[in-house]
Amino acid sequence: MSQQRMEDSHRRFLQAMMTIGVIDRQGAKTLHRRCCEEHKTQHSPDRLDSFIDTINSKLQPLFMQIRKGMSEDDGNQYYVLVNTAETDVTRMSSDYADNELELFRKTMDLIISSENGKASSTDILNCTDTMTSKKLKKIETEQLLKRLVCDKWLSENQGEYTLSTRCIIEMEPYIRAMYQDQVKMCHICHNFAFQCQICDNPACGIKIHNPCVARYFKGRVEPRCPACDDFWPHEIPEFPQHQSSSKR
Amino acid sequence: MAQRKRLSGAQTSSQAKRPSGSQAAPEDEDDQTFTLPSSSQVLRGMESLAPGQLEQKTAEVVQYFLVKDQKKFAIRRADIVKHVLKEQRNIYPEVMRRAAATFQQVFGLKLVEIEQKNHLYILINSLEPSAAAPPSSSTNPKTGLLFVVLGLIFMKGGVARENVVWSTLKKLRIDPREKHEEFGDVRKLLTEEFVRQRYLEYIRIPHTDPVEFEFGWGQRAEYEVSKPRILSFMGELHQQDPQTWSQQYREAHSSSSSTPSPSPSQR
Amino acid sequence: MNRSRGEEEAPRQNGSAGRKKGEQQHSEDDEAVHHFDPADDMQDDDNDPSRRREIRSKYRDLISSVQQNREDMLNPTNNKLTEVLEEANKLFKDVRQAREAALDAQLLVVASDLGKEKASQMFSEGASFDPSAFAEHVLSFMGLNRLEVEEEEQQNGETAEGYLPPDAWHRLASRAQLCFRTAPSFHYMMGSFYAEPPPPKQRTERQRKAPTKEAQRIMPTQLKKMEESHQEATEKEVERILGYLKSYYQDDPTSDISYYEFVIDPKSFSRTVENIFHTSFLIRDGLARLYLDADKLPCIVPLEGEENEAGGSAACNQCIISISPKTWRELIDAFEITDTMIQPPNAPTE
Repeated sequence: MSQQRMEDSHRRFLQAMMTIGVIDRQGAKTLHRRCCEEHKTQHSPDRLDSFIDTINSKLQPLFMQIRKGMSEDDGNQYYVLVNTAETDVTRMSSDYADNELELFRKTMDLIISSENGKASSTDILNCTDTMTSKKLKKIETEQLLKRLVCDKWLSENQGEYTLSTRCIIEMEPYIRAMYQDQVKMCHICHNFAFQCQICDNPACGIKIHNPCVARYFKGRVEPRCPACDDFWPHEIPEFPQHQSSSKR
Repeated sequence: MAQRKRLSGAQTSSQAKRPSGSQAAPEDEDDQTFTLPSSSQVLRGMESLAPGQLEQKTAEVVQYFLVKDQKKFAIRRADIVKHVLKEQRNIYPEVMRRAAATFQQVFGLKLVEIEQKNHLYILINSLEPSAAAPPSSSTNPKTGLLFVVLGLIFMKGGVARENVVWSTLKKLRIDPREKHEEFGDVRKLLTEEFVRQRYLEYIRIPHTDPVEFEFGWGQRAEYEVSKPRILSFMGELHQQDPQTWSQQYREAHSSSSSTPSPSPSQR
Repeated sequence: MNRSRGEEEAPRQNGSAGRKKGEQQHSEDDEAVHHFDPADDMQDDDNDPSRRREIRSKYRDLISSVQQNREDMLNPTNNKLTEVLEEANKLFKDVRQAREAALDAQLLVVASDLGKEKASQMFSEGASFDPSAFAEHVLSFMGLNRLEVEEEEQQNGETAEGYLPPDAWHRLASRAQLCFRTAPSFHYMMGSFYAEPPPPKQRTERQRKAPTKEAQRIMPTQLKKMEESHQEATEKEVERILGYLKSYYQDDPTSDISYYEFVIDPKSFSRTVENIFHTSFLIRDGLARLYLDADKLPCIVPLEGEENEAGGSAACNQCIISISPKTWRELIDAFEITDTMIQPPNAPTE
């Protein structure tokens, strides 16, 4: 790993990450270029990862990291600025109240234990009944869900909530520890699979992310499960238009 | 008083046990349990540390600042000691020095003590503001509101009476009696949140009957907000050369406004 | 808007006038007050109580007039403050007693506050900065469309003229932030709460097995959804219950049918919940109506034809009923329910 010195371009990049939290690879490349231009440092477009490694080498002792991961929605790579510790101090975070955090955890429970990686808004509203901290009113819950989407912890589509890319990447260690029995990995990319297709063969039942399905079966006439070789009965999604991370 | 001052380093038992959230607590009192240790105490403290512990405490202090800065309230020394340093309070000066260096080196941020009486700290940016880097969609609309109020105060010579502020905001479709769709309860925002964040001071005008208030710049604004830039944006808005406001121009360019004199009162 | 500064120089003396008076007339303020001690008073020629009272009352009037006309006093275009001070000068000639001197001092404090403020206005050329012009410029910057006056704004009152786009404050903020050196803040989710052990597994299984039980808690907004998935079964059951309701009503149209007696199955809590759920559809669709009887207890009655058209508005009211096994048992006791009025679907109907 490169142990370059931090310069203002790195600091500018880190500050931008603090502000936005999550960025896709293409956006990160643009940001990288702009930060270098602004501080008149040499910009090597193909050195984004080593640029980030330099920042990470300084962040690591501070319980922070810019972590790379894949989006379940579009299969693209994303970078997320994450916290890596849980201490008395990190629990002083004031973005959400205790009962709001409880509801967020319940929402995660619902999503992770569901078949399709989703939870409907009504299911979430209903689980306020079982809250142990101060109960949220329905309208407060709705506002909270909006805020969670706005802060990029959840994604919403027609009343159905899923874990956002930011959430999956930052919460990875937590999900691994808390839900190890329930969570399956994608057979192709070996990341958590929440929104995915499942092999119909009950003896097999592997999961594959939709974008991974698209990539894996692209151009194959008769799709077969990569594990059990049974026919893959699901609709094969379009290959995500032109991996934005690859070029440009 | 003199006796209490001696309660430095070693005696931890006397530390106030107060729930972390209580902000109404008298600030001084808490702080009296802690006075800056002498350099020999610091040295002794450092020697007794296990290797790596200084770095560990520094990282924790950095983390504490980042967490507490989420709300942009000023951070009290007494709280840093209470929540992070605890028994190692005697290495406080060294830890703070290192934390400040870390903020500068890694984040491009500056740790500033805005009030010496209560030992309050804030973080400000040491990089120049830039339109390029962070996507503009993520700007906080409250910055616009702050500009209007701080700008008005500055142009009015350092204080603006409350009714002037409200009547100006009213023209901008903000009515303190109604919930604003962007800012919610604006009266609360101005007189409580911005005050706690130390962007604004909200001061009772003496000898007024009925009671009246005025707004001034808070300590955070003095460090975080650039008067020359405020004035030049004013010029842009009015399509007027900023120098034509000669008093304000002198004020903005005389006090090197990024480092104001740390006098607790401006008035 | 290029208002030239320095137009209003004249009133500047106001502030200093106040101070001068103070300096001249009691150069050593504090001592002056102390000199008047009661012993002296007794020997004084001017020791006429009514005269003293008059002077004090005049001072009080002056003080309150300054306090109440602050705005006026501060106005750079008049000399009210100076006038007040001149008046005070006159009064001071007759001041003999400590109480009067104290009032004079109080007046001076008030006046000098004002003088200071007035001076600071002058100093900063505050007067040349017009807040309302500033507001207009800000509005233009925020993208105010002054042509769209008519639309919705009119009912909002006089101040709103023109259409302010929803991103107005963002627009201002993105320019204004260049004046700020605000540190970005760090936000995270991981580590903001205690990591607790995973939820008990049975919970998810129960959810899958018994959707109808879950349905009891579902809010009205979800009814559409339920209809889609369990449409047929639900419809059938709703109709069956309507049948029961109608037949009880026809048996005796004059007596109230207690809602609780109707829906509660004393042998089965879950049947009770299902009955409540299905009965809610009758209410929603205007096929039945809930009302309170003389004892304020809920009763239910079927509606027909015109009746349910007319009930359209009443049918809009929503309410959420919750029932727990405990309240269920309490209701059974209270209403002395021994039998169910709605037979379970598969049970032989009498």
